[in-house]
Amino acid sequence: MIRALRWLVYVVAVLALNLPVIVTLVTSFKTGAELTINPGLWINQPTLDNYLGVLTITDRLNIYAYLGNSLLASLIGAGLAILLAFPAAYAVARGEFGRKLLMPAIVNLRAVPLIIFAIPIYMMFQWVGLLDTQLGLGLILTIVNLPLAVVVLVNAIADVPIELDEAAKIDGAGTFAIMVRIMRPVVRPAIVTTAIFGFITAWNEFLFGLMLTTNNAVPVTVGASFFFAASGGGVQWGLASAVMIVGALPPAVLGLLMYRQIGGSLTAGAVKG
Amino acid sequence: MNRKRNTLAASNASHPSRFARRPRGQWALLASPLILFLLIFLGFPTVLDVIYSLSAVTFETLRSPVLSGFGNYGDVIADPAFWAACWFSLRFGVITALAECLVGLGLAIFLTPLLAKRSWLMAPLMLPLMVAPAMVGLMYRLVLHEFVGPVPYYLNLLFGNSPAFLDADTAFWTLIVVESLQWTPFAFLLFYAAYQAIPEDARQAAQIDGASAWQLLTRIELPLMAPTLAVALFIRFIDGFRVFDNVYTLVGSGPGGVTASLSIYIYEAFFKQGAIGKAIAASILLFLASLLVLVAISWLGGRRKEAAA
Repeated sequence: MIRALRWLVYVVAVLALNLPVIVTLVTSFKTGAELTINPGLWINQPTLDNYLGVLTITDRLNIYAYLGNSLLASLIGAGLAILLAFPAAYAVARGEFGRKLLMPAIVNLRAVPLIIFAIPIYMMFQWVGLLDTQLGLGLILTIVNLPLAVVVLVNAIADVPIELDEAAKIDGAGTFAIMVRIMRPVVRPAIVTTAIFGFITAWNEFLFGLMLTTNNAVPVTVGASFFFAASGGGVQWGLASAVMIVGALPPAVLGLLMYRQIGGSLTAGAVKG
Repeated sequence: MNRKRNTLAASNASHPSRFARRPRGQWALLASPLILFLLIFLGFPTVLDVIYSLSAVTFETLRSPVLSGFGNYGDVIADPAFWAACWFSLRFGVITALAECLVGLGLAIFLTPLLAKRSWLMAPLMLPLMVAPAMVGLMYRLVLHEFVGPVPYYLNLLFGNSPAFLDADTAFWTLIVVESLQWTPFAFLLFYAAYQAIPEDARQAAQIDGASAWQLLTRIELPLMAPTLAVALFIRFIDGFRVFDNVYTLVGSGPGGVTASLSIYIYEAFFKQGAIGKAIAASILLFLASLLVLVAISWLGGRRKEAAA
């Protein structure tokens, strides 16, 4: 009895939490004609036309450009965050470096509204020509990813027995060599998880994409919203739904494949010291 | 046994290891790329923020701000829309944090027997966390649309009418529901981990003493989860307070600006009104407010640790 009730609660929770995704998915398979007479969750005549429409380049919509921009900026945002965070995390975990200032500053960055930095960064980027470039967007996405990357990697390195470092040191390895040859392979799972989580976060970012890009580097989150605003004479809901599904697919697939590890990353920031 | 507490202890530990006696410069060198990056992309912008907040500046004179004292701050403080945005963000942060933590806690406790053996059931619950909040905002335009949206459609079928979800009176609560439904899984994940981390012997001891399920929950389990509850409330409050994406893509600043959060207020002051000085002064005020909250939190945390010691 109580078991049935648990299942019921689970199913209701999953449906309620995923309602927008379910509705968008259903709508993306409906024809325009059906949509006006049947807004419900049932499809009478399923069609793939909306997806064919999305994948066709028109002057109003070029999904490949948006996806490419998101991909490039997110790869920079996730990769650079690791490159910067890993050596710093090693210094924090093993050298007790920056425990007083660097760590608190970067951990608390998670709690600072990033819009504060958006306007001066907009000016800076204008001066140096990084506005509306994938590199510029990627650099800012790095900032977004850094707090969690540092926390996760510091914890991962601190969990490795110090004897490992000491043994390598006795064998004559220097700090840098220990970091690259010993520590990097040992904490590889944490690095991979951090990279994937960073990629998802970067892909899903919206505010900086909106402020720092206009034409050439527009990510798909912003591109999808352009599509809503720009369509005169009403939104083509079927097409709009297909755009959103395609744009949401990469992080959703990554997240579902890696949900165990991602869950750990998501909550890692919460158990900061 | 208790992984979470272990990592907490590990990151808290400040025992100088034998390793740390190496020359400090070596460690500084390893951390220097990160520090340099932070100085360029956060330090310099902060300096710019301070200078421009004290200057008269327009998009035409962006490179040559003229110092003008605290006029921008005066403009912000005299602007009723700023205070309305503060009030929106504060209410939004508090209500969504409470709703998400309450539902998340309930789900975690009630569903643990189901999920513990079938961990793949977690994936559908976590899916909302993988979707961009901006996309979710756009999706709800469809979900709530009066002609093509399923929610008004089914409400009409069942009750014969459907409320307006995004007018001046209802938009706030619609947004509360939208935000809470997306982020309840985050609170749920935290509580689920904390609930599983409760040592089995604590439960057994209580049961041997004849505690009922309700007593076990309220006297043993909830008190042990209290620190997680505090952390979850804090994180969810911060994220709700600085909300931008989903509100902006669903309704923008809303009818008459009723849904302008502080982030949206700053964005619109800058991009829509070109009031650069005002937007930046508002940013600085927001920065100071978040610093104040963080200092207060760490002070409270420090006192708790002292009290525990």
